[in-house]
Amino acid sequence: MSLTITDVSFSYGERSILHDFSLEVAAGTTTAVVAPSGSGKSTLLRIVAGLLKPTTGTIILDDRNITNTPTHQRSVGMVFQDNQLFPHLNVHDNVAFGLKVSKMNQRDINSRCHELLELVGLGDVMRQSVATLSGGESKRVALARALAPSPRVLLLDEPLTGLDQELHDRLAQDLHQILHSTDTTALLVTHDLTEAEIISDSIHHLQ
Amino acid sequence: MRLRSTSPLAIPAVILVLIAAVIPLIVLSASVISGADVISIWSKSSVQRALIFSTWQALLSTALTICLGLPTTWFLSRYEFFGRQVFMALVTVTFVLPTVAVGAAFLALLPKGLHHSTMAIVVAHAFFNISIVVRTVGPRWNSVDDRLIDCAQTLGASPLHIWQSIILPLGKSAILSSAALTFFMCFTSYGIISILGGPGLATLDIEIYRRAVQLGDLSGAAILAVAQMLLIVTIFFIWSRGRTSELISFRSRTLNPQKLPLGPKCFLFGVAAFFVAPVLALIASSMRTGRSWSLTGWRVLLGIQNQKGIEIDTWQAMQTSAKYALIAAGIALPTGIAATYAFSHRQSANRQLSTLTILPLAISPVVIGLAILITYDFDPFDFRSSWLLIPIIHSAIALPFVIRAALPVVQGIPNDLRLAAATLGAGSWRRLLTVEIPLLRPAISTGFAFSLAMSLGEFGATSFLTRRESRTLPIIIAGLFGRAGEIPRATGMAASVVLILVTAMIVLSVDRKSYS
Repeated sequence: MSLTITDVSFSYGERSILHDFSLEVAAGTTTAVVAPSGSGKSTLLRIVAGLLKPTTGTIILDDRNITNTPTHQRSVGMVFQDNQLFPHLNVHDNVAFGLKVSKMNQRDINSRCHELLELVGLGDVMRQSVATLSGGESKRVALARALAPSPRVLLLDEPLTGLDQELHDRLAQDLHQILHSTDTTALLVTHDLTEAEIISDSIHHLQ
Repeated sequence: MRLRSTSPLAIPAVILVLIAAVIPLIVLSASVISGADVISIWSKSSVQRALIFSTWQALLSTALTICLGLPTTWFLSRYEFFGRQVFMALVTVTFVLPTVAVGAAFLALLPKGLHHSTMAIVVAHAFFNISIVVRTVGPRWNSVDDRLIDCAQTLGASPLHIWQSIILPLGKSAILSSAALTFFMCFTSYGIISILGGPGLATLDIEIYRRAVQLGDLSGAAILAVAQMLLIVTIFFIWSRGRTSELISFRSRTLNPQKLPLGPKCFLFGVAAFFVAPVLALIASSMRTGRSWSLTGWRVLLGIQNQKGIEIDTWQAMQTSAKYALIAAGIALPTGIAATYAFSHRQSANRQLSTLTILPLAISPVVIGLAILITYDFDPFDFRSSWLLIPIIHSAIALPFVIRAALPVVQGIPNDLRLAAATLGAGSWRRLLTVEIPLLRPAISTGFAFSLAMSLGEFGATSFLTRRESRTLPIIIAGLFGRAGEIPRATGMAASVVLILVTAMIVLSVDRKSYS
């Protein structure tokens, strides 16, 4: 699955956030967009996810123009900066959320959740409330949840922000490994060049 | 460090609740235990019908209220739009309007064929109780992070699925408690049913009144009252659990500046029309007798024209209502504010006392009226004939409103502010006058306005205790609608207009911030 962003622009009223931005993410690879805060990185991801509509430009996912496709029909997964775990669901049900939407049967849901939580190293917290998780565990659950429905592209919005250095470095390594082992096409946005270098295969600087 | 101990401040409120609710309810319960035939009353067909109808109409009313209230709440709690503040003011006002006057307004609005029907009752109940849903569920939904919904979308959830799996579950406890409270309000409805009810449309409260006042069957009425009280306490327990057993912490967020789509706009316009139309119809109806326009109703009401068979002294009723309201607010306000200081410290004793002070609001006013009638009728406590009893009961019913208005404000005053004033040489009285009271002003005005409104519209308890020479406006209105003829009806409509407008003006005069 490849992702092609062509000449995407976006503005809030008079203020231009993105101007003719283009990028190609090859199938099965991770591309990082590195830029300082306030430069429109998150806006870019929200446009790819369909949460914002670009003023101009197109988003092509595997030869299919999805620019006007509603978010829930795009098959994009997203890891939000502050995880956004559903507070009323436990760890298992958070990961199962996207699978239930796709009407997978319960046995398959359970085995997929188990597989994903094992993959992110959290096999033993399945029934725990998300309120009890540490910062690092929450990030892992958010990643497992986004990967569970096997999205065609995974979007990562500053996924390691707010972690202490040691945990940050360890998770960055894990993330790189997980994305490769699952052959996921991913677009990462971050302000941290080192993080981008560890996780991604190619880096794009956004001015 | 606390400047002084606060628990004794709750004592006046506790005494008020003991006098107006706890002692009478204990005496009422004791009168049932000591000898009345508890079983036989339930075999009476009028009682069975009343019980079935109370439940049935309360369930329907709750369902309609929730159906209209949830979308209204969602749009109000998520979007900023032109007219939002006016809408919020409407929501606040509808809840405190006098029940008999609103009953009259729906008589004016609905076609004759629906006048004394379950549908009229259910619709009028929804008019009042949408406010409960907005007030209870609104803060919860306001705090749901937009990104949580974005996240669900990226996981493939359609808008319908997001409602089912995110929005409704996150509001579940608040929705359940608002449904329980609405059910309680409708189950114990009295004023609305007095006006819009009719043969076969009597609730348990109406049956209690009928037995106690019209049939002289005090013991039968007492059994029904105690049974109703037990049921209500159970519902109330569920409601208060829903309020406290919140595991997820919520932060309030700013409203979505995005434009409200056309569909929701039309829906909210419909709800606003639902709030305003009965009042407009009431005003129009007060100026009609029969099929022609006429101010006869107003002339009779204001004493300009005498009408055979209608002996009402409007000015006296207005004076009585105003006197009771001012005394009730005068008692409820200082008592409630003092208690709020005690309750602002989260000790378990304070929590229990705080729950106790909600009791007069949680028990049906009809039950309280009956309990008082039974309790205070022997020496040396024969206070039944004392007019002061009515405003005292009104103040007890208003007390929870005062405490609820003041609690967040009192808790929001940093103790350091008091300490700073103390270090600057301000003694306790000066601190009270120069720091506490100015900061409490919005809560004081809200509490005062709500107490006035509560007292002006109170009908259930008052109908048990009123005397011919001290009738309040709601009692006069109910009396007018109990008579046949166009002129009493038009006069009742005119009196309802006065009561609704006065109440609305009082509540709207409160600082806007308290309802926005």
